[in-house]
Formats: sequence, C-alpha cells, structure tokens
Amino acid sequence: MHFSPWTILGSLALALPAGAAPLTGGGPVVLRASSAETVANGTLEHAVILVEDGVITAVGEDLPVERGIPIIDLPPGWVVMPGLINPYSRVAMDGKGKSDSRPQAQASVELYASHDDYQDLLEAGFTTLGQYPAGTGIPGQAVALNLGPDGPSVALDPAYLKIVLNASSSSKRMLRDGFEEVDEYLEKEAKNREKWDKEQEKKKKSKKKDDDDEKDDKKDDDEKEEDKKKDSEPDVYVPLVPDPEVQVFMHLRDGTLSALVSIDNAAEYLHLVDAIGEEEFAWGLRVPLTRDINLYEVTDKIGERGLRVVVEPSLTLHPGTMRQRNLSSELARAGAKLCFIPRFDSVSGHEDLLLHAAEIVAAGLERGAALRALTLEPAELLGLGEGRGSIEEGKRADLIFLDGDPFEVGTKVRAVMLDGEFVTGEVPQ
Amino acid sequence: MRSKWIRQTALGLGLVSLFSLPVTAQPLYTSVDDDDEEEEEADSEEDSPEWFAVVGADIHDGRGGVLRGASLLAKDGKIEEIGYDLVLPEETEVLDASGYRVYPGLVAVKSSGLFGGSTDLEDSVDPFNQDMVLALAAGITTAEQSNQAAKLKRGEIEGLVMNPKTSSSISFRSSDPKGKRTQRERFAAAAAYLRAYRQWEEDVKKDKELKEPSKSGIDSTALAVLRAEVLPWFSADERHDLLEIARLAQEYGFRPVIEGCGEGWTVADELGRAGAYAVVTPRYRRARSENLVRAGGSSIENAAKLHAAGVQVAIQPASTGVSLGGIVGRDIMHLTIEAGFAIRGGLSEQAAFEAITIVPARLLGVAHRVGTLEVGKDCDLVVTDGDIMHYQTFVQWAVVDGKEVYDKADELFFAHIRPRPESSIAPESKVDPGEEVVEEIEEVKESAD
Amino acid sequence: MLRSLFLGLLSLVLVAPAPAFVRPADEAAPMRYALHAAKVLTMDDEDHVYTPGTVLVEDGRITWVGPGRETPEGFTGLDYPTSWITPGMVDLHTHVHTGSWGDINDMVRAINPELRTSPTIRAGNPNLKRACAAGVTTLFGIPGSGTNISGFGVLYKSKGGRGYESAVLADPGGMKVAQDSNPQRRAGDMGASRAGMGWNLEDINQRALAAIEQDRFDPALENLKRVHKRELPVLIHTAGSEGVVNTARMWRVTYDTRSVLSHGSFDGWKVASALAEIGIPINHGPRTTDWFSSRNGRINNSAGEYQRAGGPNFSLNTDSGVIPQEEFFLQGAMGARYDGDAYGMLRAMTIHPAKAFGIDDRVGSLEVGKDADVVVRAGDPLDPRAAVELVLIDGRLEYDRLRDGQRF
Repeated sequence: MHFSPWTILGSLALALPAGAAPLTGGGPVVLRASSAETVANGTLEHAVILVEDGVITAVGEDLPVERGIPIIDLPPGWVVMPGLINPYSRVAMDGKGKSDSRPQAQASVELYASHDDYQDLLEAGFTTLGQYPAGTGIPGQAVALNLGPDGPSVALDPAYLKIVLNASSSSKRMLRDGFEEVDEYLEKEAKNREKWDKEQEKKKKSKKKDDDDEKDDKKDDDEKEEDKKKDSEPDVYVPLVPDPEVQVFMHLRDGTLSALVSIDNAAEYLHLVDAIGEEEFAWGLRVPLTRDINLYEVTDKIGERGLRVVVEPSLTLHPGTMRQRNLSSELARAGAKLCFIPRFDSVSGHEDLLLHAAEIVAAGLERGAALRALTLEPAELLGLGEGRGSIEEGKRADLIFLDGDPFEVGTKVRAVMLDGEFVTGEVPQ
Repeated sequence: MRSKWIRQTALGLGLVSLFSLPVTAQPLYTSVDDDDEEEEEADSEEDSPEWFAVVGADIHDGRGGVLRGASLLAKDGKIEEIGYDLVLPEETEVLDASGYRVYPGLVAVKSSGLFGGSTDLEDSVDPFNQDMVLALAAGITTAEQSNQAAKLKRGEIEGLVMNPKTSSSISFRSSDPKGKRTQRERFAAAAAYLRAYRQWEEDVKKDKELKEPSKSGIDSTALAVLRAEVLPWFSADERHDLLEIARLAQEYGFRPVIEGCGEGWTVADELGRAGAYAVVTPRYRRARSENLVRAGGSSIENAAKLHAAGVQVAIQPASTGVSLGGIVGRDIMHLTIEAGFAIRGGLSEQAAFEAITIVPARLLGVAHRVGTLEVGKDCDLVVTDGDIMHYQTFVQWAVVDGKEVYDKADELFFAHIRPRPESSIAPESKVDPGEEVVEEIEEVKESAD
Repeated sequence: MLRSLFLGLLSLVLVAPAPAFVRPADEAAPMRYALHAAKVLTMDDEDHVYTPGTVLVEDGRITWVGPGRETPEGFTGLDYPTSWITPGMVDLHTHVHTGSWGDINDMVRAINPELRTSPTIRAGNPNLKRACAAGVTTLFGIPGSGTNISGFGVLYKSKGGRGYESAVLADPGGMKVAQDSNPQRRAGDMGASRAGMGWNLEDINQRALAAIEQDRFDPALENLKRVHKRELPVLIHTAGSEGVVNTARMWRVTYDTRSVLSHGSFDGWKVASALAEIGIPINHGPRTTDWFSSRNGRINNSAGEYQRAGGPNFSLNTDSGVIPQEEFFLQGAMGARYDGDAYGMLRAMTIHPAKAFGIDDRVGSLEVGKDADVVVRAGDPLDPRAAVELVLIDGRLEYDRLRDGQRF
C-alpha cells in the first residue's frame, strides 16, 4: 500500500494536543474497519484510515496507531467506502427546458437549496451531486454540489456542458455551429489584432516623424511635450470579448470544460462522431439504457476511445428477444469508464442505486468497475477527481459506512462522513 | 474518429507486410518521430486497396447471363473482374459461395422505414435499424426513401446516400381539373422559356449585350423535367388519367414515371409510345366499373402487357415497409414474391428480375452504379441458396460496397432456417396403380401397339 | 362421331398448350372430361402422385385417377403436358361471401346462435370469381368475430352463374365462435372480460344441453343443439398461447364438439404440442408468422410449428378479405418458405380442412367418387409464378384461362 507508518507518527505531534478529541471538530481521527473499499487501490482488510482537517492523510492495512488519537472502530462486517456521487441528476429541480442552443445557461441558477431531497440523498450515502440543466439541444452547463447537513453548496461550477444529440441535421448543426462561431470569433479577433498592430506600427512611424519634426521645429514645446507623454504610454491591446455562448465552446476547445453528450441509440453515436468531426475536446456520453437499446453495436467504438459513459445499472433485452444483455459490463470490457446513476431520478431511486448496481455485478460486471462507477468515475466526470471519489491520501474524507458488503442485498448506509465529520447516522461504539 | 480508425487499420496492415518481407529487405520505418510515422501509415493505407471476392458461385449478372461456378473480385467496393480462374490478391477477403447463386442486389424503387430517420437521410439515418437488416435479408441493397436513393450500408453513415433527389412528384389527375390546367400551363411556360433560352444562346454569340431571357414565373420543377434533370413522378391508375399523362409527356417531350398504373394494360401501347416508366404492384386490385363496356380495372397481366408495349416496368410490393405483424408475403421483404405475380401474369423471368433491379436503379438515377453485376459497378450483391424468385429461397449473405453486411447465420431472424436444397413440393412420385388400373394401362399399351 | 374424330386429332398434338376451341362456351349438361397433366397430386391418404397423370370426370364426380392414359371414348380430353393437377382448395375461414367487407357482424347481443350467413351470400361475386380462378373451390363463409357466437356459416363453392342453391354444400355448415380479444364487449353488458365471455358461452351451451336433455324445441338453439350432438362442426376464433388453451379446453374437454381452432396466431404456436395432445385441429391464419409476441428474436413460422407438432388435420386460412381470397395458396407458400413442409402446406389447404370439417367425402382430394373439383396449374401450386389454367367445380368448367382471360 502507499503507506508509510511515518505518516501517522508524523501527524501525531499535531494530533496529540487535541487529546481525546470528539468525533467532530476537525481534529484527527482514526477509522478502523474490517474492510474498506478504497476504489483507487482495491479492498483493504483491517483498514486504518487517518482523517485530519477533513482530509484523508493516511490509509493502509493494520497500521499501528499511537495512543492519543481518537479511534473509531467500526463494528465487525461494516465496510467503509467513498461517498456515492451522482453526476447527472435533476432531483430537487423542476421546470422544463427548451430545445435550442444556449450553452451559457447554468443549472446552478435553477437550484432550490433548501429542498428536502438533498438531505434525503445525503442520508442515502450521496456526498456529491451533479445537476444538469433541463431541455434538449444544448441546454447548458451542469453544476457539482457538495451535499451537506445545512443544504448543498457549490463544489464546481460549471462542471460540464450538457449536449443532447439526436439523429437530425438541426441537432448536428447545433454542435458544429458552436465551434464554427469560435472560429469566426478567432478570425475576427485575429483581424482586429492585425488592425491594431498596424495602427501601432503607424503610430510608431508617426511618432518617429514627430520626433524628427521636433528636431526641426522646436516651437510649441509644451504642446509637444504633452503629445510625447501620450505616445510613450504603452498601448495595451484589448481583445474583442467573445459572446458568452462562444466562450463556452472556447472552453471546450482549451480543455477547461468538458461535455457530456446524451444519445439514445447506436446510430446517434455515429452521428455524434460525425458531427464532432476533427474537433478535439473532452466529452463523455449519457445513454439511457432503455429496454431494447442497440448500444452493443457501438460498444467497441466507445471503448476504443475510453469514453466515460453515464448509465443506469439496468439490464436490457437484446432487441426482439427476452435475452438479457449487460451493456454496462460490455462497455466496461470494451474499455469504457462507467458512471452509474439511479434508474429513477428520485429519492427512492437514489436509495436503490447500490442494490441495482449489485444486480449488474451479479450479472457479470467486474466489482471494481462497479465501485468506480459509483464514486471515482462520476467524480472525474464532474472535474472533481483530484479531490474525491476514492479513499486516498490527500482526498476529502467523504465516506460512507455500510453494515455489510456494498453489493450484498440488505446492506444499508448506516452513517455518512462529510469532510471528516459525521453528518448523518451513527457508528455504534 | 475516422482518421484514427484508418490509422489503426493501417498499422495492422503495416505489421502484416513487415512480417511478409524478406529479412534482407530494407526496414519500412527508420527512426522517425510519431507524426511522420502516422503520415506514412496513412499513405500505405491509401496504397493498399480493399479486396473482396465471392468464389465458386453461379453468378447471375442481372442482364440474363449466368457464369456457373465463377468468381467475382472487387477492389475498394467496385467490381474489378467477373469470371474464371481469377488471381486474387493475397489480402482478399474471400466469401466461398460454392453451390450458391449470386445476383445483383435488389433495388426497391420505393421504401419506408428501411433507413429509419427522417427526410434528411444523411444526418438522420439509423444504419443499425432492424428493418434495414430485414430488407438485406430480402435481397435489397439499394432503396429509395424520402425521395433519396441510398444504400443499405449497415453500421455506416458515410456514403450511404447515392442520389439526394430522385424525382419530382407531379399531380395530374382528372379529379382536379384546375390543377391539371395549372400543370399544363407550367410546362407550356417552361417550354417557351427553353425555346427563348436556346435562341438567346445563338443570338448572344453575335450580340454580346443581349440579355438572357427571364426565368421569373417559370416553374422550376417543370423546367428541370424538360431539361431531363429530374424524372417527373405521376401517380395514376385510371385509363383516362394515364392517357392524359402520356399525351402531356409526348407534347413536351419528357419521360413520365407513373406509379400505380392500374389500368395501364388497357393503354399499354400509348404509354409505350410516350416512353413511360411504370411502377406497378402486380397484385393490385381495382374493380372494373360494372357499366364499363371497354376493358378496365386491374389485371394480373398488367406488368406483362406494359412491358410488351415497351414500357419500362418497375415492381413495388403492396407495402413498401417491413411488416412484422404476422401476415406475410405482401411487404418489402417479399419483393421477389411480388415480382413472381408479374411472371404469373406473363412477364418473363428476366423482365421481372429487371423490374426489381436495373429498372428501379434507372428510376433512381443510380443505374451506373447498381442494378447489374458489371465490371466498374458497385459490388452490391446477394448470395442465395437457390433461384432468387423461388418462394423458398433465402439470402445467405448480402454484400454492399464489397463488404459483407448480412449473414443469415449471424442474425436471429432466419438463422434457425437451414439452407435447403431447392425443393419440389412433391419430390417423390408415388405411383401405386391398383389392379384395375394396371389392366387399363395394359389395354392402353395394346391399343397403342 | 365428329367429336371423337376431333379428339383423335387432339391426341396427336399433345405437346401443344390446351386448345380452347374444343370446349363448349357453356355446358347445358355436365360433361365427361379427361384431364391430362405432367403431374397429378391426388392429396389422398396414400399421397399418390402421378407423373404424368390423368383424372377422369363424369357427371360432376371423379371416376378415375391414375397414371397418364389416353382419353377414353366419349370424354373430352384436356391436355396440359407441363402443368400440375391438384384438388380444389378448401378455406374454412372466409368472409368474402357478401361481396365486400361488412355485413358480417351483428353486434347487439354477445350470443347469436340463431343467426346464419346464408342471407348474406352473394354467389359468384367478383371475389369468388377470382378465388375460383386461383383454385379455391370450397369456402366456409362465416360471420365475423365481433360477438362470442356470431352465428352459423355456409359451406359453399366458388361457382358463379347458377345461383345460391347450386353453390351451397351445406347450410348451416358449422358454427362460428369467437374468443379472446375481438368479441370483448364495450357496450356495457356482459363480456367485457374473458371471464364474462366465458360465462356467456358457458350459459348458452348449458341451455342447449338442457334443451337436448329435455327434448325441447327452441328455435334459437336448434343449430347449437346440433353442434352438441356432433352433427355440425364449430370454428372458433382464438389467438395467443393463453387463448388457444382456453378454447381447446372449453370446446374439446368440457364440451365434446367437432371443434376446429381458428387463427391460433401470435405466440399460440408455443402450446402447439399441448393442442396436438388434446386433439383439436388447428385452422391457422391469416397470420402465419410471429415476431412480436414470441420474443425469441426469430421470425417464427407458427404455421410450421403447428405442422411439426403433429396435431390432427392442420389447415390454413385467409380470413379473406384480410388476405385476398385468391391468395390462399400464398399462405401455404409462406408457410413453406419459413421452414414448414411444402407438401404438408398443400395438404393444409386441401384434404386437411376437408377432414377437419367432415366434408372429406366430397372435397379435398382427387379420389374416385368425390366432387370433381379439379385445378390445373402451370406448375407448383404454391408458386406465385404458376398461374391457374383451368378449374372444374362439380365437373363443370368454371374457369378456363384461355376462354375467360386471365383473372388471376
């Protein structure tokens, strides 16, 4: 494991003054569990996790813990894992979207922070939530939220741009137009710059001339002096300000924003790739796994690109048959990265997510891929992968405590730790 | 995406050629940086064509010729050679069709739903669409949809549309006399414009200042039809409508396409003289008016009589989409069955086959690419386990642009149906004459002696 | 004398297509015909096929069938050296007797055992003319499936010109019952559900049995009584795997009737072997394949599945005009295409329906003593390309392609 016992010892000096710290208050605390799903580094037996200032600072198996640091021993059989992350939800939001292109729109302005659902989701084990703007076409930018006992707070805004692509000229054009407008802006900007440069050149020349004149003519010295002052002020080029919607596509291009494109079937994947053409930007897929979906036609292509795909943990039927297909598994095997979201975007849907993910694991999805699909991959999708989504040193201590294996029927979320603090449930001591 | 795919394929090919090179050969790649390497690979891709061949089959070229046990070679989707003892390049993808028959892929002069999507096929096609698979299973490799001609290129959207506008529909029927008059006026105006334009073309050589005649008020469709840029598509069944269309066509010198053409057999000669194309459904039924003295109504002999009079006949089924409702034999999956009914009515087997291949290809403006198997044309073909017009024959493989797009054994629909020898309904004669019969036969023999 | 000389000449030109000029335009009396063809499919129990073969017809009956022979004296020889001869086809589920759609459902009451289709028959209507020209010679013209018991149908032949009496084989020919979705009532009375429809039928059957028991005359029940006395067959519209099982149970197990299960569509084929065991004949169509309901990804050939299940007297139908009456043969062709047995499909349109309805003493095969319903085709009777050349019904020349022009 990526652990050195010195980490804990080293932190001891800091930890000791706090003494027998309570479970809250941000002081260091050690969690000991018979099993921890780190997601990043597999399952740890006899796991020891040190949390300080809301951050995981050490994690390993059977680590020695010096006296003085409060230890929370989880009951036997309990499992600790990173908090669940749903990157694609409209829970607690309402309103219908339009079908046009408005990439500059933001889901964050739609939020109703005091909605009860957020608390319910937290209790169900969700610590981070991505919320997307409603509508089709290019409905706008999603926001990533920290869930908390006092309501949600913004973790990252924007998190990604949502695009809905369907097989139609207008839909494909919408995407192409977005980038074309960037090109148009850049062209315009380049011309503007050129013009400015030329003007500068001209100014320089005329200044030279002025200087020459000066030598010749020493009249009106005061006036000239003023001119000179003006000219000597270095001119700063002010670029043209792109329209807000153009800015969004510029961000896609420069990599500061990624896109999540919603498609409904295999054909739309081809049309999406066709619409993207030579354009390069980071994008993932959202594909609702409807009953007879034919996504298997393009799973290889999706996998080849290593795309992140947001799906429900649902089995589908091979079209026209009762033969079940585990498309999640097929996608993962092909090389795609899964993000699981609830089958129904409701509180109870969130409560069932683990259970449904378990069905997919039972049907053949590799366990590690399923765990990642619930935590790390959605974190990455939201642009928060650096700081959360796994139990690793340096990551936020957003942890959930389960009374059994996460993919065992009947396992419940018994407690949730956010940023190092227990916010719901309790751990029997 | 596309370029990446090509690169990967190229890499594969590159490796193969590396291994097949003699050791003494100079290395293909020296130390080059990545970008250069990619370029070089892309180049080698361009240099190595894709070869495809069907071997050992009875090849029916669609023009009446049959080559028994022959082979067909295609390069980059185009037919390179048809014949015997072909030299196949090493990397040729070979489909062994020994004992099977090869035909040009069928052409559906009208279809609905095969490509999914909406009016703009290029941007809306669903090339994974189940109906497309079923149409390929029925032997169709090219079809019209939403006035566009397209290929049943499974799993691909590029190069699917062959002709973005196949015809212009023109309403010309006796139930709308005003509309008829308008049409006639449009053609008259367009014809007058064309005359003026041709005159101008001559005159402008002498007088460069002369103004081009104005196009304003000229119906673009009528003009396109008169310029033979687009086929005018009429829909008519009644005898007098058909006659009027024939006259209109002769008056203005264009070739009409007449869909339906139910009573066409009663005016076949007139339609033949007008150079008409007929799009017929041989099983179409139209009651003959009881108080009609002359011939009328539908006739099973319609296609045969039209063809005999020189009309180019294309056949379409009663339902132009795929129907999985359980009633079989009437939809686009049974195009050959529909053509069989034309044969029943007296059309020759060859003409009936052309009515579902080259004639519709002409109507769709794609006859230079599909409809027959000829060198230089697209490698769009089907491999069947028997006479394609026989009711028990199945398509085993379908090939579009030199790529296998349908394999019966790989699809759930018909994989359970094993290839069968061409069956006869009562293969064995069971002659078991009783005593009395034997006697009678003896009598007959004696009398014959 | 002159005629026999004529016939002598005719036999010399055997290879020529049948000349029409020897045939009287309209026969005052039934004639004696000797039909010669390349192949004669008798469809008898021993599956006799004669190549070539001859069929002799006298006084409306078949008097001889066997290997090719010369035309006996006194017979008009009709030579088709490349054609095939089969018995006329028998379709047990048809609605074209009215001449058009409609006039087949009386919807006021759910149970109508007193109704008969005989007043609605238009003998020789254009549909029947085309049917005849396609070799369909015997039809069971029945009311629709709008009600649970829609009445009694007529068994008749596709003859034209000589009126109703000449065409009818049996009136009533049998009863029509409808179960499953179509007859479900939306009028607010009993029969909105399968339970209600079940009771409607139960109730009327019990009343008919009681009338038999008490030897009581009831004008509305007289024909239904004959069904329960096994004097008349009953054809039951039903479909789907649940529907067909219910039907077989009611009409074969609960009531021992001469019942024939009609349609059996959708995924009904899945219980084909159970139906075969119960022993109820299936009269399948107009749907002969299923993709939607069976959900195994296949285009399931329900016709082939019933055929393979080996139940008694499997037959096909058109439910005409759902499928045009003249395309009856195509039902067999499609059954054969999608993996059924071609010869079995021909049986399903000739001798099997005749046996299922107990009229095999008259029609369904070419055997001595049976009605001379004979069809000459250019080839394989299942092949759409093979046009019908000649049709005799009851020994009369009802259709001759050369004389009448090709009707189909």
